[in-house]
Amino acid sequence: MALRARGLSKTFRGPDGRPVPVLHGVEVEAKAGEFVAVAGPSGCGKSTLLNLIGLLEPLDAGEIWLDDVCVSRLSRRAQCRVRGRSLGYVFQSFLLIAGLTALENVLLAARYVSRPRAEALATARALMERLGVAHRADHYPAQLSGGEQQRIAYCRAVLNAPPLVLADEPTGNLDEGHAAVILAELRGLCRERGTSVILVTHRADAAALADRTLRLREGRLESQGGERNS
Amino acid sequence: MVGVRRLLPRGYLFTVLGIAVGVAGLVALGAMAERITRFIDGGDRFVLGQISVAGEGMGMGTGFTAGGLLRAAKIEEIARVPGVAAVQAQVMLPLDPTTSQFLTLTQELILGVDPAGRMPNREFRELPVRAGRALRAGDRGVAVVGADFAASRGLRPGAALVLAAGRSFEVVGVLDKTLTAPDRFAIVPLDDARDLWLRRDPLLVQVFAGGVGGMSRSDLNTGAAVAWADGADPDALARRIQREVPGLNVTIPGELSRLLRQSTAFFSALLFGIGVLGLVIGGLSLSNTVTAAVFERIRDFGIKRALGATDGQLLREILGEALGVSLSGGALGVGLALAVGALVDARVLRDGQQLFLFSPRLLAFAIGFSVVLGGLAATYATLRIVRLSPAEAIRRGA
Repeated sequence: MALRARGLSKTFRGPDGRPVPVLHGVEVEAKAGEFVAVAGPSGCGKSTLLNLIGLLEPLDAGEIWLDDVCVSRLSRRAQCRVRGRSLGYVFQSFLLIAGLTALENVLLAARYVSRPRAEALATARALMERLGVAHRADHYPAQLSGGEQQRIAYCRAVLNAPPLVLADEPTGNLDEGHAAVILAELRGLCRERGTSVILVTHRADAAALADRTLRLREGRLESQGGERNS
Repeated sequence: MVGVRRLLPRGYLFTVLGIAVGVAGLVALGAMAERITRFIDGGDRFVLGQISVAGEGMGMGTGFTAGGLLRAAKIEEIARVPGVAAVQAQVMLPLDPTTSQFLTLTQELILGVDPAGRMPNREFRELPVRAGRALRAGDRGVAVVGADFAASRGLRPGAALVLAAGRSFEVVGVLDKTLTAPDRFAIVPLDDARDLWLRRDPLLVQVFAGGVGGMSRSDLNTGAAVAWADGADPDALARRIQREVPGLNVTIPGELSRLLRQSTAFFSALLFGIGVLGLVIGGLSLSNTVTAAVFERIRDFGIKRALGATDGQLLREILGEALGVSLSGGALGVGLALAVGALVDARVLRDGQQLFLFSPRLLAFAIGFSVVLGGLAATYATLRIVRLSPAEAIRRGA
């Protein structure tokens, strides 16, 4: 799935009510199967950019297109469908639901897209097996290590085989070994399944795996990274 | 186990406990109100079920009648008034004449009735006997006691009961709880009641010994209960008796009921206050607990929206959880109130009292109230949450 984001702008309100501009007319494109990294210093707007592309945050200005559909103009209900079927998220802080087991957390992605449970269960188990967390299926997030939680979060993000995966610092809380597993998985998604991946990262090794690296500074795109990194 | 998990999602234990406390308070207050209501209604039904008559003057002034001796000749006159179906002579004495007679509805009474006769009261054709039997023709020296009267003394059929002046009776029956005046009655044959009265009142003995006014034992009645024929208007009949049989104090059932209602107006207001208080306390506690529980999970709902949950899906999910939690909390609260009520009533029963009445309608209302209010609170919280973007919900819940 091809992504085109044009003129994305976002301003938040500070504690004193004053506007705090975060993004100024940012343009992002990703072809189907392309692995794009977004790098930049803390506070430059990387996570906000990912939230806007993922329809998790309303835009102040700009447009987001997935293939031929301007998803930023869809109704709330239609945007929910896009989030459920076309987008997968991997967050830095995992964002697993504490009251659900690891397996239930993974299956949550199938619940809102009316996917048959038996089919989703088989896919979830296969994914967890591949990521080496199948034996933790009945554990709650608090009973899992950081690496295991991130692998569960990754399984949830790709359960419905979304054509676009958005990963916000997915290795930020992981050691080298676990980080390598997640990065290899993301890279594999692009190569083997033609999934587009947008990765927000601080890590040079993570950015090096990407086809292109966009650099953000103070809410503006500094570089489009036109060439493949590696 | 999975079923229980679905009904009561993990992490909701304190929510359920919070709801249970609110519902328990509501049910306990409601049960006290029900108890008082039943008591007042019982008294009202009793006075509306018969015409109570006493002789002219002050007399004993106890129980439902107030007036002087009602002589046998007067009772015969009353029986001849058109519209009267039956007249039953009665002797009603306070069990303990040394205590204040102020609260006649709560005091313990000795009621003497003709054991062969049927209760003339239309609302209480016969008093329900829980153990043993009712009085029957030819009985002497026996008593049927009310539920509270029996409980406060540990009486059962076969037990001995000293009622007054050392006179012992055998308890032959214990009444079922009526939650009104008869619960505190000791019902004895009319002749036995007359004996007790004579033993207690030296003046009466002198009157009988002196043969004053040609009185006999059959004249020794504190009052009579009058039953009316089918189709007769009891108030009109009472006024007719008043007109046609001079020298009587006749209570008009409708007026007595009105007086009773007026005298219990304070209790009615108290009931209303208790009810409102129960609803407000229980309602606030429940809705606050459910709303807080939903807002506490705002991050989870943000995650679910990020995974594609629509407003409708989220609302259905939260309502389902709220229903399970409210039902569990409501049921636990009802159980808690029943347990506390049983403990308190076991303690006060020693004094012949009962504080709580957990009627089915009260329990059904409490459960329904929990579910409806829980649902409303969850809907309110959900509508607040779905207004937020998924990212904002996740940030606020972080």
